[in-house]
Amino acid sequence: MNTEKLSAHPMAIRGVIPQGSRAPHRPATAPPSAAPRRAHELRLMWRNTRMVVLSVLTAALYAAVLVPFKVVPLIPGVTELRPGNAIPVVCSFLFGPAAAWGSAIGNMIGDFFGGVGPGDVFGFFANLAYGYIPYKVWTIVAAPDQSPVALTPGTLARYVLAALAASMLCADLVGWGDNLLALRPFWVLGNIIIMNNMVAAIVLAPLLLAAIYPRVRRAHLLFTDLMPEIEASARPRRLVGFAMLLGGEVTAWLAGNLVSAGYWRPALVPAAFNVAPYTRAVALTVSPAIVIAIIGMLLL
Amino acid sequence: MSATPASFAPAAALERVTFSYRDSASRALCEIDFVLRPGEMVGIMGASGAGKSTLVKCLNRLVPAFEDGDFSGRVTVAGASSDDRPVSDLAATVGMVFQDFEAQLFSTNAGLEVAFGLQQAGLPREEIIARIGPALEAVGLGGFESRDPTTLSGGEKQRLAIAAVLAMRPRIIVFDEPTTDLDPEGRAEVLELIQSLRGQGLSLILIDHDAEALRACDRVLLMRDGAIIAEACPEQIMPRVADLESAGVRPPDLNRAWATLGLEPHPRDLATAERYLRERLGERLAATDNAARDARPIAPDRNLLTVSALRFAYSTAAPAIEDVNLTIAAGEFVAIVGRNGSGKTTLAKLIAGLLTPAAGVIRLDGRDRHELSALEAAQAVGYVFQNPDHQIFAATVEDEVAFGPQNFKLAPDEVSRRVAEVLAAVDLTALRSRDPFLLSKGERQRLAVAGILALRPRLLILDEPTTGLDYREQRRMMTLIEELNRSGIAIVIITHTPWLIADYARRVVLMRRGRIRFDGSVSEFFADEDLLKLASFRPPEINLLARRLGLDALNVQQFVTAIRALRSRDPAA
Amino acid sequence: MLTSLYLDRASAIHRLHPVVKLFGLFVVFWSVFWVDRPLALVPIAVLLILAAQVAGAWPNFYAFRWFLILMIPPTMIEWMAVYRQGPPLIDFWFIHLSGAALRYGFGKGLRLAELLAASILFLSTTTVEDFSQSLINLRIPYRVAFAMSLAFRLVPLFMDSALTVVQAQRLRGYDFDQGNVFERLRRYVPAMIPVFMGALRRVNNMAMALEARGFGAGVRPTNLSAYSMTRRDVVACALLIVIGTVYFLLYLYGYGAVTP
Repeated sequence: MNTEKLSAHPMAIRGVIPQGSRAPHRPATAPPSAAPRRAHELRLMWRNTRMVVLSVLTAALYAAVLVPFKVVPLIPGVTELRPGNAIPVVCSFLFGPAAAWGSAIGNMIGDFFGGVGPGDVFGFFANLAYGYIPYKVWTIVAAPDQSPVALTPGTLARYVLAALAASMLCADLVGWGDNLLALRPFWVLGNIIIMNNMVAAIVLAPLLLAAIYPRVRRAHLLFTDLMPEIEASARPRRLVGFAMLLGGEVTAWLAGNLVSAGYWRPALVPAAFNVAPYTRAVALTVSPAIVIAIIGMLLL
Repeated sequence: MSATPASFAPAAALERVTFSYRDSASRALCEIDFVLRPGEMVGIMGASGAGKSTLVKCLNRLVPAFEDGDFSGRVTVAGASSDDRPVSDLAATVGMVFQDFEAQLFSTNAGLEVAFGLQQAGLPREEIIARIGPALEAVGLGGFESRDPTTLSGGEKQRLAIAAVLAMRPRIIVFDEPTTDLDPEGRAEVLELIQSLRGQGLSLILIDHDAEALRACDRVLLMRDGAIIAEACPEQIMPRVADLESAGVRPPDLNRAWATLGLEPHPRDLATAERYLRERLGERLAATDNAARDARPIAPDRNLLTVSALRFAYSTAAPAIEDVNLTIAAGEFVAIVGRNGSGKTTLAKLIAGLLTPAAGVIRLDGRDRHELSALEAAQAVGYVFQNPDHQIFAATVEDEVAFGPQNFKLAPDEVSRRVAEVLAAVDLTALRSRDPFLLSKGERQRLAVAGILALRPRLLILDEPTTGLDYREQRRMMTLIEELNRSGIAIVIITHTPWLIADYARRVVLMRRGRIRFDGSVSEFFADEDLLKLASFRPPEINLLARRLGLDALNVQQFVTAIRALRSRDPAA
Repeated sequence: MLTSLYLDRASAIHRLHPVVKLFGLFVVFWSVFWVDRPLALVPIAVLLILAAQVAGAWPNFYAFRWFLILMIPPTMIEWMAVYRQGPPLIDFWFIHLSGAALRYGFGKGLRLAELLAASILFLSTTTVEDFSQSLINLRIPYRVAFAMSLAFRLVPLFMDSALTVVQAQRLRGYDFDQGNVFERLRRYVPAMIPVFMGALRRVNNMAMALEARGFGAGVRPTNLSAYSMTRRDVVACALLIVIGTVYFLLYLYGYGAVTP
């Protein structure tokens, strides 16, 4: 709690706060310790107890709903749709950074109950991105204070862009990671993940948001309400980040697909790597694009 | 234990504390003055929303540091002003145990749970480890160090929460409705434990909306609309039956009976009450012929439900239901009782068709359950889950009620007719276009019932419909159920609450280890000591008194009638 | 009801320092990464079987038996599709199947199964507390590790409530399996909203209980880890380093590769 904020407090203006008893506007959940002034919101959120709890609940919900809610086979035997895949997107709009960590942890727990799937470290960061990017991109492409509920065709397109930006980096990260470990070809995993996430985000998430968003706002549990101290970076910086994110992830996705399927043999890659099944070629080509996308994400 | 000298510095004090929550027009606390003395045990009672929790949250600064709103006044804890201190700073001084036991356990084993607060305070590792065992020991959970909290019963979870608070060695412990969500067994465990903490210099505050739980306190506050409307020792406050009832608190049975009969002074416990009446009624008591049998008739004109030789097991383990035979006739009002895990809910779910029996037959209206269509089954039997929040999802109250009929593809005008009818029955018509998530717990519970009623079941099974409600809401819920019963719907209610059985049920089914151990009238059940012990069930106090006196009365009303009848027998008395 | 895979035993593997177990998991990942040849993967499989025997982890492996076996064929197919070297046994349209491709694909499938087996072994012998404590030892911030272990505790609770909600809506005549794929996905809304809102009702209660117990005191929370590095741990580490090195050498000298 800083003092200059208190003086601007509405209750202070109304003169309700007597001397000696200052009611902070926001719950004094943050330890008063001196922390760096402008920490990234992914770090800042851990100081607020309610945000910690929201990340826990996102994680527990994600893990709990992923498993028992019956899967809908999309391509029988290859991939299946789970309603749980909508949770990171929905929570992203509600709980912001808490949803990002929650999705990452929730995915890990889901793996724990089912036996850790290989490449879990990548799954952790992929789901972090999947929960983090939607609300960040949304606040760039949509009007300020535009709620993600009651979408018009115009805002729907922006919503889809936000969801796609998130799904694609998520897919890139898992595809890249599993390729790095030479577990699964990029073209298999990368595309399945994008498709699964997008179907859940477009078909299911808007319905859930419409039902839940207004209620969360009324309960003052939107992250913007809980942590007004989170300030967005300057717009130009965010736009650069957005451009890097989109450029990086699309490049990574295209390169990953083309190289792993053998349609493109980049000249820069040592010839020894440029033989089927191209796992090392994929890793080499995709890595720079992924790094750019991640830097872009953190600049959002 | 007893009153402490007034010269002691107070353990905590509130001076002219006023608070209103953000978004709320009314004050949650209104100029509260309150002093907590060292070593004393204070009870606070009042309806939901009376300000009980808000008051105690001022002690560890959850109000106003965590809860947002307008605060004024002074709070002193352990001699120091608590202004500007963060909540965590007071954690070592003021311990708090909450109602929602799932929301206050954070660890994957009991030992770590106890260690949690100590870890936060940064205590040395050896010190923490040394405190874990004794704290668990103190709440009767010795040796539970590596148990997963998920595997504990409600009462054990609540005791674990208390152990975690005790390990912090606070000066004040606040219990905010610690037993509201518990069964009688867990409730007794926890209340007994709280009693055992007295006399160690600890100041205790116990919040409850059932006055009986507070009879052992040194002092009791009665709250209403954010103000303390009465403050006295239990002997003085419990006889004020009208005040308690108007504040939404259930007065103890004995006091209610005494007040209705106009007797003075009020008894302090069962023994005093018995002596008092024996002195005054003397030989007239001995002359009672016990003729006033259970007057409420059962009308078994038509069997709605017949269960025969039912068997069910969840896995390869011991069967959850074994050789159960049960018949429910039209118009009946049956209470199913039994400890947790005795198979009550499993039986209900089998009847509702949520589980498939391993053997045996369930007949609804004389037809095998398998032969019925989903709609026919829903019209034969409705099941209301314990927690209304497990089914409410729609945007408005109306839509929520319409959900069932719409799923069964009834015509739109039929759907709206039923919605209107059912909302009127549960008294939610005025709230029909409200968001159900904003309703109170009692209203949500009635909405859940409405959602099932809309399918017009002839038999309604309700799983603990009053758990977590305050007294006023409980009464309201039960009045609703009673009215449904009068309108011809057979009622089966799973419950732990003795007075509720005494006041409403006409038949009791006791389950134990998946079998039915008793099936008969309420008075037979209350009279069978062995059976009660088996079920760890304690009949209402007034019934105990009546039986000691050789009278037949299940509840206060019947008791009063019986005593009046005795008195009128000889006008000289 | 799903529960954690942990098996309460006192085996030598159980008693290893959790950070060492985490390192072991890493070494398995590292080792199989460098080799493709099925034969080169056999020693790891043998080691895993031995470890499973020592740890008494067979019940979990039995539970995952089909999963472990069935994950091999699709992985084989995926990789055979991109492996184009060696004289083809079958050469038809876009399918070029060589003997090397078969071995290569099988190696990939076996390796995936081994990784899963190593993970099951880790989870069978490590409690959530130890796992989160080892994360803290590895400099993961306390609050992140705490969030993880609390989420762990809540999963069975939420899963239970999710299943109850599904039952409650079914009783009101709701059919979850109706319509095409998208419609079926959408039909989960009446089940997901109550679960979500039930969780939301708890947020304030939980945050309040946390603060009342001193969460957020700004002090560094005490590390309760009961483990210290013992001789056994040092030996295990040395062994793991040897295994990791051997596999890297296999790769360097070309013994790990599938030859066309």
